[in-house]
This record gives sequence, C-alpha cells and structure tokens, in this order.
Amino acid sequence: MRIFGGGATDVGRVRSNNEDCFRLVQPMNLFVLSDGMGGEAHGEIASALAVETVVKHCMEAETNPAAPFYGNPPDKLSTHAKRLISAVHLANRNIYKSAEEHPEQSGMGATLTAMWIDGNALSVAHVGDSRAYLLRSGMLQQLTSDHSLVAEQVRRGIISATEAEQSDMQSVLLRALGTQPQVEVDSEEQELFPRDVLLLCSDGLTRMVTEPEIAGTLQAETDPQKACERLIVIANENGGADNISVVVVRLENESKSWFSWLRPGGRKHAGSNGSAGGH
Amino acid sequence: MPKLSLMFEGKVVKEVPIGNRPITIGRSPDNDLPVDNLAVSNHHARVYYEGARLVVEDLDSLNGTFVNDLRVERATLHDGDSIHVGKHYVKVDASHDAPVPYDMGRKAAAPAINETMVLDTKVRREMLQQAAAMGERTQFASGRIKVPTIVVLSGSTASKEYVLTNRLTTIGKSTMATVRLTGWFKPQMAAQISQRDDGYYIGPGDKIPTVNGTPIPGPVRLNDGDLIEVCRVRMNFIFRD
Repeated sequence: MRIFGGGATDVGRVRSNNEDCFRLVQPMNLFVLSDGMGGEAHGEIASALAVETVVKHCMEAETNPAAPFYGNPPDKLSTHAKRLISAVHLANRNIYKSAEEHPEQSGMGATLTAMWIDGNALSVAHVGDSRAYLLRSGMLQQLTSDHSLVAEQVRRGIISATEAEQSDMQSVLLRALGTQPQVEVDSEEQELFPRDVLLLCSDGLTRMVTEPEIAGTLQAETDPQKACERLIVIANENGGADNISVVVVRLENESKSWFSWLRPGGRKHAGSNGSAGGH
Repeated sequence: MPKLSLMFEGKVVKEVPIGNRPITIGRSPDNDLPVDNLAVSNHHARVYYEGARLVVEDLDSLNGTFVNDLRVERATLHDGDSIHVGKHYVKVDASHDAPVPYDMGRKAAAPAINETMVLDTKVRREMLQQAAAMGERTQFASGRIKVPTIVVLSGSTASKEYVLTNRLTTIGKSTMATVRLTGWFKPQMAAQISQRDDGYYIGPGDKIPTVNGTPIPGPVRLNDGDLIEVCRVRMNFIFRD
C-alpha cells in the first residue's frame, strides 16, 4: 500500500503558546503526536521530549532490533507494537526524570498518541486524551480511549456522552506521561485496507469540531496536508479554545490490479497521488 | 446579563438569563425553557457561550431549529435573533453589557480546571465515587461485567462465537478479521463494529449489513440481542454475563 501523510499545528485563538508537538517520520511510516501541559513553557518541553524520545527509540530499533524494551510489552504483540509501547514508557521516564532534575518543571506532563504502519498492519500506542481515528467506508472510528475523567464516567454509565461534552471537567486527565514514575500504556493493532484514512489529533480539534464534520472534511479533501489545514481552520472558526494539532494519513492501493479499470473510479485511484485529487 | 425569552403568540412565556451553563430548550419539563408542544422534541436545542460567542445547537430534533427562519444545526447568535422551535420562538437579548464568557464562568466556579491537569490515583478514585453517588445511572459501575459477544447463528465463519475485545472488530474474509467469513466471493472487510465510550456501533464495510432486518448505511448502536446479517451470515450481538 502507498501511504501519504500530512500534519499541521496551530496555537488556536485563545492560548498564547503552542504546547502541542507532532512528527511524521515518513520513511518509517511512523506518526507521533503529543499535547503538553504545565505552567510557563514547560508543556512545550514535555510534548517535545515525548515526541523526540518516541521517534528516536523507534529509529534506533530499526537499526538495532536487539535494543532493550522498556515497560515489558506483552509478547503476543507484533514487534512494531512492542517497540511503540517501549518508546512511550521511555518517554514517560524521560519527562519524569527531567521534571525531577529541574524543579521548575515540576508538574509538567504530556499526552502521547503514536501510529506505526508496517505493511497492512497498524500499531497504535496511547496515553492521555489526544486521539487516533480511522475513517473507513465513511465511518469514523476512534481507535483510542480518552484517559480523561469525563470519558471514564461515560464508560461507567455515570454521565451521558452529551453531558461529558458540556462538562467543565473535560481537562481533567487520569493518565499522562511524566507525572508518575510508571505509566500504563494502551495499545491497539489493526489491519489496514486501501482507502483507509487515519487521523491523529489533540483535544483542541475534537472539542471544537464534531466527528461528522471531521469525517466530512477527510472525505472531501483527499490531500492529507490540505485536510489537516482545513480541519484547523474549522476548529479556529468554532472558537479555537486550545492548541490544535492534526496528522492525516491516507492509504492507497500500491499496484493497479488487473481489473482496476472495471471498478468505478478505479482508474482515478490507480493514477492519483495525494495532490492530484484536490478539488 | 444577556437573556433568552420564550415567546408564544406575541407574549413572553418565560425568561432565563444566560450564564455559565448551557440553556436547554425542549418539551420535557427538565429543560430550562420547556415548550409544551408536540412539534418540539424532548431535548430540542441548547444555547451556550463558547468563548465570547453565543451559540445555538440543535440536539438532533425531529422538526429542526430555525434561526431567523433558516434551519440550523449550529449557529452563532446575535442580539435580536429569534430561534424558532415548533410554533414558539425564543428571542435573543444579548444587548445588556458584556456577556459573561463561558470560559470565565468556568474559571470562577472551579479554578485552574481550564488548564489540563492530571489526577493522582487517590483523588481520582474519590472523584469517581462522588460522581457515581451523584449520578443515577450507575448500573455499569455496580453491576456484573458484561462481555460483548457475537454468536454466529447461520452461515460459514471460522468460529461460532467471538468475544469483542478490541476497539474495532472487523467482519470479513481477511485473515486478520475478528469474525472471519469463509467461502467464495466474500469481501475482505464486509462490516465493522466499533467500541465507543457509550457502547458498540456497527457500520458498513464493503457491504451494508442489516440489524434486525433494517439495512444500516451508517453507524448504529447495537443493543443486547440484536440480529446482524451480512453476506448471508446471521449473527446475534449479546452481552454475556
């Protein structure tokens, strides 16, 4: 499968600094996004450190598969999934350590959501309330659970999803990187199919733009970079209360199948790349 | 303070100030502006501040919400606008000095919660317990753990029963599909079931599945005992104890 990625971040309309951070490592098909928190500029330090650590650990593992795994990832998982989990544990450790060494950074933390694509296998590792989504056959599905108080209350049936959206407790996280010496990391593995679209985003997007709007934008804008920029525009139009970061990844069929010309739109698909489909 | 006035046949029926909490409009009596009219849905629309903007949002009402006669799902409100629900209308009066922005109100009520924060384990347990004590719908918190399960009733699949453990369950011929269809001419990914915080939703893949006989082109929440059919495979969605 051919993989096209794009990413963008924006400070929003209310905040003065951007504490989000993301990275696309296209040759490895590794995509990482983090939303930092903490006073002064420490949220920025935390999210940058999180992304940096994850990318570096995964890159090192590519050249040295024998590199140690952190946090004992379960054996039944794929190597990529295990490596991602290990990287997130290491990021937690690095942020925690940095905050211990620099008392002024105390209390800083970050969310982290990362995707690594290997062939048609997707691995996701996740801590916090940033999100990974999969758009498939027009259906937008969240691949991650928010580690927030309100999401936990919805899962327990204490409040409804609508009440959660109105709650003033939305910013309260139950899990984040760098706040405890150890962290529990969620992971998920999925098979990918051609025409799948993946999305990583910080809560600055999901609190401002509804899921139907997100799905509609991803379907209408086939260029991943333009889709990211469009989503940020919508989030800002709706208030831009927080930093907004978006990574969009599209998958397309590698080879023209023998019968692709028979399929409606088959030719267009086979011939187009990320930039040709814009309208 | 800005306010909303519910009007019927030219008369003010009720007035409410717009503060930090969203104002709800609907037929059910628990709304801030209850409208006793069959054309109005139980929870029809809500009005709230988003930053400094006053916003009206339709809550998937049957007959729609109209601002100055235009049907809207969500719209920014200005002083003098009127929101129509059924035969009633709600007048927007935002002229009274500066509105209290929603965010400022939140800060006053609960300082610093606007900033992202992490709860440590002890505080978190206490808060969840408190919330559980306040909430009425605690059946999941206290009840037995229910395991979502797909039981295959007829048709060829690799196994007869599947426990849904992932956020995303695929039904198809693919070797990595959770519910693996066997036989000729089956699509790689026929349909999908996704887990959300409030339940399990089924949606189409390469085929449009039916739930209890109704074709579903978009995601639909599954209830205990629903009958799913796709590619001539009939399945039951049930919550096992």
